[in-house]
Amino acid sequence: MSHESSLSQVQAATNFSEPAPLHATTRAEIDASLRFPVLLFFRTALFWLLFGSILCTMTSLKLVVPCFLDGINFLSYGRLLPVALDALLYGWAIPAGLGISLWMVARLCGRPLRCSKLLVAATFFWNTGVFLGSLGVLCGYGTSIPWLEYPNWASVPLFIAFLLMGVWIVLLFSARQPRSIYITQWYFLLGLCAFPWLYATANMFLTWGSIQASAQGPIIAWYSANIFGLFLIPLALGIIYYLIPKITGAPIYSYYLAVLGFFSLLLLAGWSGMTLFLGGPIPVWMVSASVVATMLMMIPVAAVILNYAKMLQGQVAALKESPALRFIAFGIIAYLVATLLNLAFAIPTWNGILHFTHYSNGIIILTLLGAVSMVFFAGIYYIAPRLFGFSWLCSCSIRCHFWLAVVGLSLMVVSMTLGGLLEGLALDDAAITWVNVLSFAAPWRWLNVIAWILLLLSYVSFVRLFGNMLFHATHPDQKVSACSFNSLASVS
Amino acid sequence: MNRLRPLFITIALLFFAGWLGFVAYSYLELGRLAPQVESDGSLPPLQSGSAIRGAKVYAAEGCMTCHSQQVRQPSVTSSDIDRNWGKRPSVARDYLRDQVAFLGTSRIGPDLSNVGVRFTDPAWYYRHLYESTTVVPGSNMPAYRYLFKMQKIEGQPSEEAVSLTGPHAPKEGYEVVPTEEAKDLVAYLLSRKQDYTLPEVPPVPEK
Repeated sequence: MSHESSLSQVQAATNFSEPAPLHATTRAEIDASLRFPVLLFFRTALFWLLFGSILCTMTSLKLVVPCFLDGINFLSYGRLLPVALDALLYGWAIPAGLGISLWMVARLCGRPLRCSKLLVAATFFWNTGVFLGSLGVLCGYGTSIPWLEYPNWASVPLFIAFLLMGVWIVLLFSARQPRSIYITQWYFLLGLCAFPWLYATANMFLTWGSIQASAQGPIIAWYSANIFGLFLIPLALGIIYYLIPKITGAPIYSYYLAVLGFFSLLLLAGWSGMTLFLGGPIPVWMVSASVVATMLMMIPVAAVILNYAKMLQGQVAALKESPALRFIAFGIIAYLVATLLNLAFAIPTWNGILHFTHYSNGIIILTLLGAVSMVFFAGIYYIAPRLFGFSWLCSCSIRCHFWLAVVGLSLMVVSMTLGGLLEGLALDDAAITWVNVLSFAAPWRWLNVIAWILLLLSYVSFVRLFGNMLFHATHPDQKVSACSFNSLASVS
Repeated sequence: MNRLRPLFITIALLFFAGWLGFVAYSYLELGRLAPQVESDGSLPPLQSGSAIRGAKVYAAEGCMTCHSQQVRQPSVTSSDIDRNWGKRPSVARDYLRDQVAFLGTSRIGPDLSNVGVRFTDPAWYYRHLYESTTVVPGSNMPAYRYLFKMQKIEGQPSEEAVSLTGPHAPKEGYEVVPTEEAKDLVAYLLSRKQDYTLPEVPPVPEK
C-alpha cells in the first residue's frame, strides 16, 4: 500500500507535518509567559460579546415593537445596531481569535513570549478603540459604512493595536524552534497578513474620505466579505486543524486536501463578495466575477470539510467527552450551511428575491456567531484550563452554553432564511403594499427575538463560568460554584 | 532555506490580485467619473449646503441600516421599478455628488434613491420623522422626536410648526418645530432624485 509513502512524500514536499510534541518544561514555560496577555484578550472579548449580544437582543425587539425605548437618541435602532454588530466583530471575534492564535503560534513555534508588556499595551489600545468607536456612534458620529461605522479617529488606535499584536506573532514565527510550518500556521499567516491590508485600505478609501462616492460600492463589498473570508474564517480553520489532532490523536486525513483547501480559499475568497450589490450601481463584470468565485468556493469548503469529517470519523467518545470538539463540530456544520446559503444568494434570479431581506443578515450572523465564534469558543475551552492550571469547574454550564447556542443559532437561521424568503417573495410582487410586506415578515422577526434571547442566555452562562474560573484562580481556597468539581480532566 | 518566504509571497500575490481587481480598479476608473455636462448645467445636479449637512445626519442616525439607495437592474428584478422606486436602474455616476454612497444592504423600509421625486412636501417629511404612523399607518419606523423641539407659542405660531393631531399633538399653547438637523435631513431627502438621464443608462420602457 503506497498510501503511507505518498503521505510522507507530500509531507517532505510541503513540510507541514504535525510538529513534534514539546517537552513539558517548555510547555509550562510558554504557558506561564502567555497566561496574563491571553487571558486578558479573552476577558475583554467576553465583555464585548455580552455587550454586543445584549444590544442585538434589544434591536431585534425594537424591530417588532418600534415603541420599545423609543425617541431616545443614543438608543435609536439605527445607532444601536451598528454598535452591536461592530462590538461582536471588533470587540469579541477579533481579540478572541488573536488570543487563541497567539497561544497556538507560541506552542507551534516552541517559543515562550518575550516582552508581553507591549502586548498588554496593544490590548489596551484595541479596547480603547472599540470603546471610543462605540461611544462615537452612539453619540451621533457614526459613518454608516457597513462594518466601518466607527468614526474615523477610532480606527487609529485599532490599527496601531493590531500592528503591535501582529508584530509579536510574526516575531514568534521567525524565532520558531521546529523548522516545519504546520497548516494551522499557514492559515494564521494568511489571516494576520490580510487584516492590516483590508483595514488600512478600507479606512483610507472610505472613512478618511479620499475617494469619490461613485467608487465606494465595490470597496464596501470587498471589505465586508473579506473581513470574514480572508481573516476570521482562516483563523477558525487553522484553529480546527490544530485542535482536532490534539484532542482525538488522529492525524490530518489528507495533506493534498489541506493544500488544495488552503490555496483555493486564498485564490477565490478575495474575488467573492460583490454579490452584495448584485444588480446595483457597480460594474457588471465585478458581479460576474464574484458569482463565479462564490460558486467555486465550494472547492475549498468541500476540501477542508472532507478533511475534518474524516478526522472526526469514529470519534463519538471524544465528541461526548470534549466540549471543545463539540463546539468545533457545530462550527463546521455552520460553515457548510453558511456557504450553501451564500451560494444560493449568488444565483442572480434568486438574489433578486432574497436581496435586502433578513436572508443576507442571517448569513452574516451565522458566519460570525456560528462558523467563527463556535470555533473560538472551542479554542477557549481548550486553552483556558492550561493557562489557569485547572480544568473547567462546572460541566453543566458548558452544556448550557453549547445547547442554548445550538438551538438559538438554528432558530435564528431558520427564521432569517425562511422569513427572508417569504419577505422577498412579498417584496417581489409590487401589488403587495409595503406595510403588508411588514406583516409577512413580523412573525419571523418575533422568532428572531426568541433566538437572540436564547443566544444571550448561552453567552451569559459561559461568561459566568469563565468568571468563576478567574475567581478560583485568585482565591483557590474558596469554593466558587454550587456545581461540584467535575472530572473534565480528560478535556485538557 | 526559510520556507516562510515562499508562503508569504504567495499569500501577498494572490491577495494583491483581488485588491487590484476590485479596489484599484474602482479607485482608478469609478473614482474618476466626471459629471455629465449639459447646456443648462451638469448632471447629477449639485447639492445645497443644507443637503450636504443633512447627509451627515442621515449617517449619524443610521438610516442606512433600514433604507437602501439603489434601484436594481431590471435584468435581476423588475420589482424595484414596479414599486415606483425609480424609472431606471441606478449607476455609479448617480452618487458623484455624495460624500458617502449610502447604498444600503437591507430594506426594513422602502428604497430612498428617488424619495425626493415621490414626496415633495417638507411638511410630509417632518410629520413622518416625528411620528411615522401619522402619515403611513402601520409603519414601523422609529420616531425621531429628538430631532424636533417642543416650544411655547409666543405671539404668532411658527410657520415651521409640524401639524399634528390626535395623541401626538402637543399640549395647548405649545408647538413642535424642527431643529436645524431635521431641516438639513429633509433637504437631503428632498435631494434624493435620479430623475435625469445619463448616456450609460437607457430609460426602461414603460410596460
